[in-house]
Amino acid sequence: MRAVRIGWLAALALTWAAAGAAPATAADTLNAYSIWPENWARPMLQEFEKATGIKVNFVRFSSGEALARLIAEKNTPRVDVLFGGPVETFAAGVKEGIFEPYKPPAFAALPARFKAADGSWVAIADDPLVFMTNARFLKDNNLKPPASWEDLLNPAYKNMLQMADARTSGTAVTRLFSILEVNGRDEARAFEYMKKKRRNVQLYTKSGGGGTLPVGLGQAGGGIFFIVDALDTKAKGYDVVISFPKEGIGTSAEAIALIKGAKNPELGRKLIDWASSPAMQKLYAPHKINFVPAHPEVAVEPGLAEVLKGAKIFPIDDAYAGANRKRIVERWVNEVLNLRE
Amino acid sequence: MLWACLALFVLFPLAALVARAFFEGGRFAPGALASVLRDPNHLRAFGNSVLLGVLVAVASTVLGFLFAFTAVRGGLPRAWTGVLEATALLPLISPPFTTAIAIIFSFGPRGLVTWHLLGLKGVSVYGLASTFAAETLTYFPIAYLTLKPVLAALDPNVEDMAFSLGSSRARVFRTVTLPLTVPGLGNAFLLVFAASLADFATPLILGGNDFPVLPTQAYLQITGLFDFKGGAVLSFVLLVPAFAVLLLQRAWVGRRYYVTVSGKAGAQTAAKSVAAWARWPLLAGCLVVTVVIAWFYALLAYASLVVALGANHAWTAVHYRVIFSEGVKAIRDTLVIAGLGMPLGGLYGILLGYLVARKVFLGRRAMELVSMVNYALPGTIVGIAYLIAFNDPPLVLTGTALIIVACYVFRYSPTGIRTTVALLQQIDPGLEEASASLGAGSATTFRRVTLPLIVPAFFAGLGVVFIRSMTAISATIFLISINWTLITVRILENMTELSLGPAAAFSMLVVAIVVVVMAALSRLLRQFRTPGRVMVASLLGG
Repeated sequence: MRAVRIGWLAALALTWAAAGAAPATAADTLNAYSIWPENWARPMLQEFEKATGIKVNFVRFSSGEALARLIAEKNTPRVDVLFGGPVETFAAGVKEGIFEPYKPPAFAALPARFKAADGSWVAIADDPLVFMTNARFLKDNNLKPPASWEDLLNPAYKNMLQMADARTSGTAVTRLFSILEVNGRDEARAFEYMKKKRRNVQLYTKSGGGGTLPVGLGQAGGGIFFIVDALDTKAKGYDVVISFPKEGIGTSAEAIALIKGAKNPELGRKLIDWASSPAMQKLYAPHKINFVPAHPEVAVEPGLAEVLKGAKIFPIDDAYAGANRKRIVERWVNEVLNLRE
Repeated sequence: MLWACLALFVLFPLAALVARAFFEGGRFAPGALASVLRDPNHLRAFGNSVLLGVLVAVASTVLGFLFAFTAVRGGLPRAWTGVLEATALLPLISPPFTTAIAIIFSFGPRGLVTWHLLGLKGVSVYGLASTFAAETLTYFPIAYLTLKPVLAALDPNVEDMAFSLGSSRARVFRTVTLPLTVPGLGNAFLLVFAASLADFATPLILGGNDFPVLPTQAYLQITGLFDFKGGAVLSFVLLVPAFAVLLLQRAWVGRRYYVTVSGKAGAQTAAKSVAAWARWPLLAGCLVVTVVIAWFYALLAYASLVVALGANHAWTAVHYRVIFSEGVKAIRDTLVIAGLGMPLGGLYGILLGYLVARKVFLGRRAMELVSMVNYALPGTIVGIAYLIAFNDPPLVLTGTALIIVACYVFRYSPTGIRTTVALLQQIDPGLEEASASLGAGSATTFRRVTLPLIVPAFFAGLGVVFIRSMTAISATIFLISINWTLITVRILENMTELSLGPAAAFSMLVVAIVVVVMAALSRLLRQFRTPGRVMVASLLGG
């Protein structure tokens, strides 16, 4: 039969494809999923190899995709470490039971908000939110850079703001809790504000940094982003202005964790030791990675410190956010996202 | 053999996903199902999905027919046909993110066209209209690829008969040409409808706040709210309209008789169905679309050659240097995977199409349905289902190229399958019966008689699998690994890093590769088809 012969050929071709893909598992090789974009993850992990001789193979995913993969692979994990990404993703992972608690040497030195009590994850960086606006847009509309949450309600911004969707983005959840915090956790007032701001929002993007390019290109006037994304937009040459609200704005930690059932747990722990210590975090500045270091012994790079000067930044209360996140996001979807006027 | 493949690569992953999503501790727990289905936002998304699917399918089928008809019947010079062919291929090639950026850059609130050219204020680029436009531009090539072989196989002699009986051109078109292409139209509609239903990248970027559709909701449910069950339920709901259209399409196409390739064709005559004057309006209609598409690609080419689009427009070649140094592994992996998937997908497509259209056997209908499943499901779900199914023994495929190849073959072959079905509906089974009665076995008949007649479908199917292998991302984002990565993943990564330049350069490279491969294929096809025709004519002619 012809079909059979074709089948054999196909099988042959596929065996070859499968054989060609023998995984690289040398004794001193570690596998990781990174949520940090490659332009940050690659230099850091190369520095790790330089320091320890351990090579890290990694693939980069968005936080949601990384978590979905880790959950799907739970029974036979393919990687040893989840590297970078907002604490929220790690909190969701803890609920799914995908992490192996581990307390690195830096654990004791870290403030409480930079670690899970049982060591399920530890923070490697801090990332405050900022307002980012297009300089040309401000000029055309005779606006000053927004310096208060109220400024974003100005009708001049109508249909010109882009920010992230709370269902998919940690950036957005941090923003929601920032608004709650500046309103004294009065939900009625906070949601009243968000509904008013909704009129000015052109688009809620799926990823936290999704709006940075439209703002850079001037397709949107401004938005609320993490400082790393905002500073990267600026570094690409787009004429954008970074400002902070006088009422204050929230910040979110970036973390690292060991995967339960990892094949190279010892190597994974070494990476966590290194990443949570000043050894890695003092390298952010030379590599132009604009995270605020999490380890208290690492100084903030002067340029970054200059941007942050005078800004009122507060941490989001983990216990409060953890207990209310699902409800707040659902309320946001129903009352703000799907608002009909 | 085919059933084994379908069971392994369609049903098994699906079952694994269902098991993971709906069974808790070995017991069926449908609790999530009801609450997800009752959510008014999801109901609205379902309505939007069906509406969008119908609109896109109608528009794409019309546009695809216009292109195919103009190319096949227009009697245009070869160069023009080449232009049409290229136009119809380009949109299939472009990775979704870059097109969306081109649209936003052109038609956004400060877009080159809307703001700088027309001076419009307060334009919203997000919503039904732009999603519809972007999807139609992306998917009409599928309709074109399905319709062109069908129109080409339509014997001009049939039209000539009508002319010689005194019919006008309009009447011939309405009563002869159009009705005879019904199998093609029905299958084109089905393919585009299902593709639009499953597409999440376009609405994700262009849908905006007021136009949620089901695949994006499912994606958000899984990657945003970490709700596996809800996402799976939403995705399975999408199968309902897709199957409904498959059944409708069959009912519509099934009852009539479309055979025009009977083996009794006389000498080839030139097509007369299009008046000389009508050629140019037809061509002009196509060229409007060509200009829009050319504009997007010009923008993309420009973005790949300047430092940063919108910020610094100094010329540079640095982006190409980047992709040919850092991107070499992705390029090589993608080519290996696309090269493997292409022939397999083409063969699988015509074999399955042939079985479904010609052979009577138990479970034929079921096979047809099953072959559409992976195509009609959003990529996110297919990807996760594959990941769950092939991560643990007995069959560990994660981390290999095989899992990506299998995903492409079983997800993107329906174009080949449906084109084969549509073509076979035009071909008189008498041809095959004649061969059988002369003593040829069924394999010989397939190889010597049927195969040469459906070669165009083979190439259509193979082409789509190749192009999709070069450009798809939604399912494969879950299947790439440390060993195998893809160009599209690099493009997505570049977009995340705000590096429009390298993303655009990668896109241009993909376009170049696809154009070269498709040109080679169409040359091959010409060589195949000419002897095929001659054989039909000389063996059974008169």
